[in-house]
Amino acid sequence: MTVDGWFIAALVIGVLSTVTCVGAAILKKKPNDITLLAVAAVWLFTLVYLVASIVRVATGSTIAGATWEFWAYLVTAVCIPIAGFYWAMLERSFWSNYVLGAVGVTVVVMMARMAQIWYGSGAPAAAALHGLTTIGFGA
Amino acid sequence: MTQETPTEPRDTEQAPDNGRRSGAGRLLITVYAIFAIAATARAGFQIATQFEQAPLAYLLSAFAAVVYIVATVSLASRGRTAARIAAAAIVVELLGVLVIGSLSLADPAAFPKATVWSLYGQGYVFVPLVLPILGLWWLYRHRTRA
Repeated sequence: MTVDGWFIAALVIGVLSTVTCVGAAILKKKPNDITLLAVAAVWLFTLVYLVASIVRVATGSTIAGATWEFWAYLVTAVCIPIAGFYWAMLERSFWSNYVLGAVGVTVVVMMARMAQIWYGSGAPAAAALHGLTTIGFGA
Repeated sequence: MTQETPTEPRDTEQAPDNGRRSGAGRLLITVYAIFAIAATARAGFQIATQFEQAPLAYLLSAFAAVVYIVATVSLASRGRTAARIAAAAIVVELLGVLVIGSLSLADPAAFPKATVWSLYGQGYVFVPLVLPILGLWWLYRHRTRA
């Protein structure tokens, strides 16, 4: 799999979000502003990635793998924080924070799959480096 | 039980769920939902694009997806019938992961393409193996006493 700046960003946000929510759950805290913001951050990321992917494709980038599979994953990824939020808010116990914690890791795994589709599974490492320099350094 | 105001009409007759959908149950249902989505996506893609390559494995993927969907919906639904359907789906899931896991280990050639249940769910950090055991234990803990 090709690791680009998008995936690294997703990894950082997703893991931080999950650690925050699971930590709150271990402390037996009910969902609060902190855990909700942690999930909101993941949702915001998926939205930014959705818009950026549309822009990238519109400006000539090509998806190596199946295009519809990529978009299906992306739309699902955008929906997951919403579904997690809804399901957690129906019953606000500390268990709901574990539910919220599931959002981050799930989105990270889906981002990994999306990176595979975007670059193609066997993409050369050069693409990774290119991705890092382009996005990581804002060039 | 979710908190509903008494004036609000219930979606079904006041069927008991014995706390099945509460507390840790919400997390269990969450994990089932994630697997339902993941298995459906995987099976859908495999069947749509490369069905000829390994029809048996892909049909098993689709079957697994259906089992996870049924388990998720029935776990999340109120009532005794839903609990029975959930138990049946989870037993099928447990048998599936044990049988497919063993077969894929014994005869890898017969399963050239992975399903969720291949190698006891190794591709999904063995969650498919643990999930049905937790699910059955949870349903037993929250069973309806006759």
